[in-house]
Amino acid sequence: MLRKRIIFSLIYSDEYFMQSRNFRLQKVGNLNWLEKNYEFGKIAFSLDELIVLNASKNQKCIQKFATTISKLVKDVFIPIAAGGGIRSFEDAELLFKNGADKIILNSILYENPNLVKRLVKHFGSQSVVASVDYRTIKNIREVYINDGRIKIEKSMEDYIQDLIKLDVGELYLNSIDKDGTGFGYDFDTIHNIVDTIKLPLIISGGAGNEFHLIQGLDIEGVSAVATANLFNFVGNGLPNARVKILESGLNIANWNVNN
Amino acid sequence: MKIVIVDYGMGNVKSINSTLKHLGVDDVQVSYDYDILKSADKIILPGVGSFGEAMFRIRERKIDVYLNDIVVENKKPLLGICLGMQILGVSSTEGGLNDGLGFVNALAVKIDNSNIKVPHVGFNQVKIDARLRLYDGFSDEADFYFTHSYKMTSEDQINQCYCHYENDFIASFECENIAGVQFHPELSQNNGLKMLNNFIDKF
Repeated sequence: MLRKRIIFSLIYSDEYFMQSRNFRLQKVGNLNWLEKNYEFGKIAFSLDELIVLNASKNQKCIQKFATTISKLVKDVFIPIAAGGGIRSFEDAELLFKNGADKIILNSILYENPNLVKRLVKHFGSQSVVASVDYRTIKNIREVYINDGRIKIEKSMEDYIQDLIKLDVGELYLNSIDKDGTGFGYDFDTIHNIVDTIKLPLIISGGAGNEFHLIQGLDIEGVSAVATANLFNFVGNGLPNARVKILESGLNIANWNVNN
Repeated sequence: MKIVIVDYGMGNVKSINSTLKHLGVDDVQVSYDYDILKSADKIILPGVGSFGEAMFRIRERKIDVYLNDIVVENKKPLLGICLGMQILGVSSTEGGLNDGLGFVNALAVKIDNSNIKVPHVGFNQVKIDARLRLYDGFSDEADFYFTHSYKMTSEDQINQCYCHYENDFIASFECENIAGVQFHPELSQNNGLKMLNNFIDKF
């Protein structure tokens, strides 16, 4: 039976990793800090996947970002999805060459669907993750692109169906309102749309502890839960969360890490 | 030990490369040069992307001719991973009907079922035949990481092991010197490392 996944998302900005709250970024530490406090070589055994997002606010230097990815992937034997600022075929290719197993697209899904089609055709659907950032205002879900700065003129529900038609492989749904709050996922929205999504669905935004991850994984149509909370899962936070999730009986992979 | 990863300009060879180095393989090269492929102890055919595009690039670089000589005629061990496994078959329906290398009698078809999400992404259990070389030291089931929209089927006995996603599909096969895995051992934690080690040791 296909397992559900636990994903850790790293928010990167100009060579630092950030804590994001409602898309406002706070600098936490560089790659050395990350290795010291998260030891990915070891704790990767608690994760199913890693997502790395380039959220640099000004000019996104994809070359430096790619170099960081290539350092990060050393001795980490889990899938890495990378994105943020992919605007051309060459940008995507650069990330793949530097160790990304999948790419994450956001703004170009809206601004340049033809490029998305080309990327899907070349790298295959399974390598392309569509990221959707949204916020709920007066019960209406609004989609934002460009790091949450620009609102698009389309309902989230319609927009997602457009993305499915582009043949992307997965959907990464991120609530800007819940982002970094640690209050739990936006379950209202997730319950509302989960049955209309025929792609693997990754939910993000709001997880602050393992109970939130459990609540998310418990929803039938949710394929994966993601958290970007660097503070709440520091040290042994992720390994401990995985043990508790396994104990709760949810269907996630159980590797015998001592073999 | 010299392992050559076939380079046809698609997909992420970096993670396979670093996994092999982690396992202690001292000489890992990424190439499509005939002499380098011939000098390898073992060859890995990776693959991320679409079937038609991959075959186009393989033919463009004459990799099909080289592998036929080195792997089929001269029996050098080869492991195909993900799309690299599907390419070893006769054909695929991905992006229209495309011919593969035809080293094994198998077809790739779309995972098509309205009850399940496609692509099939994540860890899933492979029903293991521990008598096979790839799975030496494994017990009856093991989790491996998959990410694919097409699946391989075969009527032949190619020592296939199955994985279940609504229906059974081929997760791996091994025929003499040629093996293929639909999952990504390089992304499958300890199980993947163990399986790759078996390919290095036992083929």
